[in-house]
Amino acid sequence: MSIDALNTLKLSGLVVLLAPLLGAILAGALGPKVLRSRSHWPAILGVGAALAASINIFMTIYGAPAGEASARIPIYDWILSGAGSSFRVEFLIDPLTSLMLLTVTGISLLVVIYSRDYMREHDKPERGYERFFAFLALFVFAMVALVLGGNFLLLYLGWEAVGLCSYLLIGFYYSKPAAAAAAKKAFLVNRVGDFGFGLGILLIYLSFGTLEYGAVFEMVQNGVLASGEPLAQGRITAIALLLLCGACGKSAQLPLHVWLPDAMEGPSPVSALIHAATMVTAGVYMIARCGAIFTASTTAMTVVAIIGALTALFAATIALVQMDMKRILAYSTISQLGYMFLGIGVYAADSAVFHLFTHAFFKALLFLGAGSVMHAMGGIIDVRYFGGLRKLLPWTFLTFLVGSLALSGFPGLAGFFSKDEIIHHALSSHWILGGVGLLTALLTAFYTFRMVFLAFFGRERVPEGVHAHESGKWMLAPLLLLSVGAIGVGYLGVGAKPFHEFLAPVFEHTFVANNPAIWHGHASDHAGFWEHYGLMIVSGGLAIFGIIGAYFLYARELWIPGLVKATVPRTYKALLGKYFVDEAYDATIVTPARQVGRFCVGIDNWFIDGLIWFVAAVPRAIAYGLRLMHAGGMQGYGVSMVAGIAIIVVLLFWM
Amino acid sequence: MQTWLLTAIIFSPLLGVLLLWLPPRGSDRSIRRSALFYSVVTFGLAVFALFKFYGVAPTDSQGDPKYLLQHWSYWLGDVEVMGDVADVEILYHVGVDGISIWLMVLTAFLMPLAIWSSFTSVRTRVREYFSLLLLLEVGLLGVFCAMDLLLFYIFFEFTLVPLYFLIGIWGGPARRKAANKFFIFTLSGSVFMFAAVLFLAYYSYSDSGLALGYITLNIEKLSQLAHAGFISTSVQWWLFLAFAAGFAIKVPLFPVHTWLPLAHTEAPTAGSVILAGVLLKLGTYGFCRISLPMFPHATMTLAPFVACLAIAGIIYTALAAWVQTDVKKLVAYSSVSHLGFCILGLFSLKITRVNGAVIYMINHGLSTGALFLIIGYIYERYHTRDINEIGGLARKMPWLTFFLVFFTLSSIGLPGLNGFVGEFLVLLGTATSNTTNDLRAAGPLGYGYAIPAAIGIILGAVYMLWMCQRVLFGPLKEPPNTPDTSTGLSADLTGREIFILVPVAVLCLAIGVYPNPLLDTFTIATEQHVLRTPASHSWSVTEAGDDLQEEIKRADPMRLVESTSVNNLERVSVGNVGSDDLSTKKLGITPVFSSYPVTTPGMFLLNPVTKSSVAKTDHPETDAMTDGRSR
Repeated sequence: MSIDALNTLKLSGLVVLLAPLLGAILAGALGPKVLRSRSHWPAILGVGAALAASINIFMTIYGAPAGEASARIPIYDWILSGAGSSFRVEFLIDPLTSLMLLTVTGISLLVVIYSRDYMREHDKPERGYERFFAFLALFVFAMVALVLGGNFLLLYLGWEAVGLCSYLLIGFYYSKPAAAAAAKKAFLVNRVGDFGFGLGILLIYLSFGTLEYGAVFEMVQNGVLASGEPLAQGRITAIALLLLCGACGKSAQLPLHVWLPDAMEGPSPVSALIHAATMVTAGVYMIARCGAIFTASTTAMTVVAIIGALTALFAATIALVQMDMKRILAYSTISQLGYMFLGIGVYAADSAVFHLFTHAFFKALLFLGAGSVMHAMGGIIDVRYFGGLRKLLPWTFLTFLVGSLALSGFPGLAGFFSKDEIIHHALSSHWILGGVGLLTALLTAFYTFRMVFLAFFGRERVPEGVHAHESGKWMLAPLLLLSVGAIGVGYLGVGAKPFHEFLAPVFEHTFVANNPAIWHGHASDHAGFWEHYGLMIVSGGLAIFGIIGAYFLYARELWIPGLVKATVPRTYKALLGKYFVDEAYDATIVTPARQVGRFCVGIDNWFIDGLIWFVAAVPRAIAYGLRLMHAGGMQGYGVSMVAGIAIIVVLLFWM
Repeated sequence: MQTWLLTAIIFSPLLGVLLLWLPPRGSDRSIRRSALFYSVVTFGLAVFALFKFYGVAPTDSQGDPKYLLQHWSYWLGDVEVMGDVADVEILYHVGVDGISIWLMVLTAFLMPLAIWSSFTSVRTRVREYFSLLLLLEVGLLGVFCAMDLLLFYIFFEFTLVPLYFLIGIWGGPARRKAANKFFIFTLSGSVFMFAAVLFLAYYSYSDSGLALGYITLNIEKLSQLAHAGFISTSVQWWLFLAFAAGFAIKVPLFPVHTWLPLAHTEAPTAGSVILAGVLLKLGTYGFCRISLPMFPHATMTLAPFVACLAIAGIIYTALAAWVQTDVKKLVAYSSVSHLGFCILGLFSLKITRVNGAVIYMINHGLSTGALFLIIGYIYERYHTRDINEIGGLARKMPWLTFFLVFFTLSSIGLPGLNGFVGEFLVLLGTATSNTTNDLRAAGPLGYGYAIPAAIGIILGAVYMLWMCQRVLFGPLKEPPNTPDTSTGLSADLTGREIFILVPVAVLCLAIGVYPNPLLDTFTIATEQHVLRTPASHSWSVTEAGDDLQEEIKRADPMRLVESTSVNNLERVSVGNVGSDDLSTKKLGITPVFSSYPVTTPGMFLLNPVTKSSVAKTDHPETDAMTDGRSR
């Protein structure tokens, strides 16, 4: 890559990184006293600048000559790691980075714009308005750092920093105990994942003596350690699985998914941006980035695929019975992230990233739509309290419908193409994985439209005392733009597949080269008509079937769900209670750990101090004994004197 | 001027104390202000010393490592006349290297903040209170500058006295018990340490020991001899254990930590800040300054044992912290947990990781010090620290919330803030300790030690966030008749209180974003004084014949001691104070090597040649030869 291009990338990279940070600082510093109700401007401008720079980066990478679309750009030495060498702050910019940057900054900008109206009550800013925008911009900074970083340490930095912003934003309404608890839970569950992630990074350093992506991946591909010894299969599997731990935490995969539904306590724009479109996809990004490591271990890949498939199905079943629109969407997000993991696990990283890309659009759209409903319903989001809103909120309804169709995989919309690809690859890997994918697709369509029918169809009713009103233009504009995306972006992955072409250089030596399906001659692109389109027809059919099913059960024959509920009460309870995973964790980990803690304090207070008291008591007892001898009684002294003399005499004569 | 600079810094608070007592009856207000002023002067001097430190090279023209800003004068024993050899050479000897200078600056930095924070909280015996704080500072600064074991010991013990009174007089309800417990615990550890100091004095003189022909307690000299293999392993073992007794209680290391939670809970805010911020570091600093360099063999063998205690402590006290209802006790337990990491880093025996441990000391001093300040602010307003009685303060106290969350994040190691740098380097060091990736001999720990330590990091987040959630978030909960604003406090933090926290926060951020200036100076000090495995220049034989050189290459350093007569170790002219040596005058410092050359057959190992004259050698044999612990 030419020097000019590198300089452009460096400059743009710095702008993408620092403009949101500057926005955050300005919003935080000037917001309370100076900007007040205009506090959104620093965030909008900062993120806007970042988007512009991201586009610049994308164009530069897109225009780069073939084979040179990747650049490593050092910024400064951060932490001294050894004689003369440091862990650096450095960027790695390649097609994957540039796409992620576009997605992150693009969606962020729309969400920030949307929040301008959302965070107001009757056109007066809510309490903490400036804090909200400062945190939001800070999040963009952190997410960009995660994506741009050129080594594992920066990845970890971004990883923790997005976790922090998520913590701060989930707990935005800190006076609500549920929100404060959810924030803490999110941070802690993520920390559990990061425990593995951090150990994985340590193991990488231990094995390869560096944390820089390029150097590590090269050594993995050559199969050597830093010491020159061959790389053991067990070691690389361990590294991959430890990294996967972190991914499971951040992307809310089994068994660390518990924090994401609770995270819906945060404001809706936060759910849209952080807990649907960007942060939760960090795990997918990380695995795609570390393809060299993961594909070096078939065990790890299998685990990724299985976790993905299980999570997709598991979360979809819970979503079937939830009543809170945002929680339904949260479980749907977990399920869709499961698809992405499944895609990566079956060596279709480009499809997984494609699904990440399309999902960002339609899921952000759905969350913002739900936010719009919530805004109109005075903060209520439980579908039992309202219904038939399609007349009251026409634009919200329309855009929400588009998002729902895209999520369901309705033929022709974004979700259809990307999901179909993943299922296709899953089927060619193992029929069970593919089957789970198809079943989940059916469930997805069903629960999505269950929500649509419950909220927008049927008799019109709103919670008492609420004057439902359509949202203002600041909120509708992002909804419309995202709708366009939810309809259109899927076409980037059909025909000549420009999306996949663009990403191809990133994955060609990892996911493509190591794909066992391709070795065995199952290459999909040369299949016949039926193999090519058959699956599309099946999955499209399932989506339509799911939608019709939802219509039948929740718009026409409303008594059937009640009957089902009554016939299988235990299953229903298990689903409603989210399989009681939270309770299980509480009982098996949290409570015992606290008991151990109490036990430790007990040891401190009784055992250790008791032991020390005992040690002190021995000389004290001796001292009490000795004190008697110095009591001042003349007889006592006389007796001991005589005794002493007697002993001396005896000794003298006997020796 | 510069030779006296450290002495001036150490004793300037003492001068402050004298000045505080000069006016017969000053008002409380003026006493507070002048105490603050004196501590700021000390801080100014310390910063001046820091700049001086950066101005001079840490190695002299010979490539010899050196302490900077040194000064010594004879103290016990005869003042030496030219050519005549004194029998006792116990010096008043101060000097700093890249590690101690920063700890000294940290002390001088925290003290004004601690003093300033006491303006409203201390109302009785004001003059005594501030005098004791300043006296405490004298002791702390002295420990970090001392280069003679006896001096070190004296300062080390001296810190007990002011803190004993600070806790015992201005503390909480159970202050007497806390003060006694604190005093007795630390003193009993120190007894062993003192015995070890006495033994070393004997050992240096005795024919069966080092046979130097005179008594010395010079830390630098003793470490040199130890690294050249002149202190036998069994002696090192006993000495290590004796010193460890003193240091482990101070750190405090599990299971002798029980004095700390009580002392912290009962101490006044300023006492807690200094206790957590600096005093505990005396233990880790002692390990780093005395145990590691002077007893390298014992360190190497005992490190796994110490590391296990540290790890047990990390997890044990983290769990204990989680169930505390007193916020201050919670943070006190967290201190124990954090210092376990510090010990772990030290005993990984890898240069950059020891750096991690040292930066961990500084970070812990900043963030935990600040946490205690904040808890003090809460206590002043609500007269309680019980998590069950206060809650939801965020609504009322946005500034306090900001700082508490900030320092919590710093304490739980959020990347970008200071805590992360230390935590990361320590874990990295623990994990990679037994490798030779850095071209140095393998250390004693390994990846297996990093796993339980990493659990400690999760637990750290658990209890700190739990505390934040309970204290700051949720619905507002206050005890009746609070907040108490009778002493001129406002509901949220006052300008003074914010001003105290801001510099700490700025430092936390700065160290998190760009820690290299500190790490650089640590590296030199660690290489040359702690682990004594020079990387920048190769140590080679200059005064011995080729045959002997070959023999050394083959020989086990321990065996070498036995085969070489150590009796002909002799001291050659020790320069007088204020010698006319030109280089000394020019730099204003007195390099240690030029005045203590030890020319014996055994000591040629310690004659370095400069970087330019010999190509850097990374051969393991060479490392093994110069590095006594790498067997």
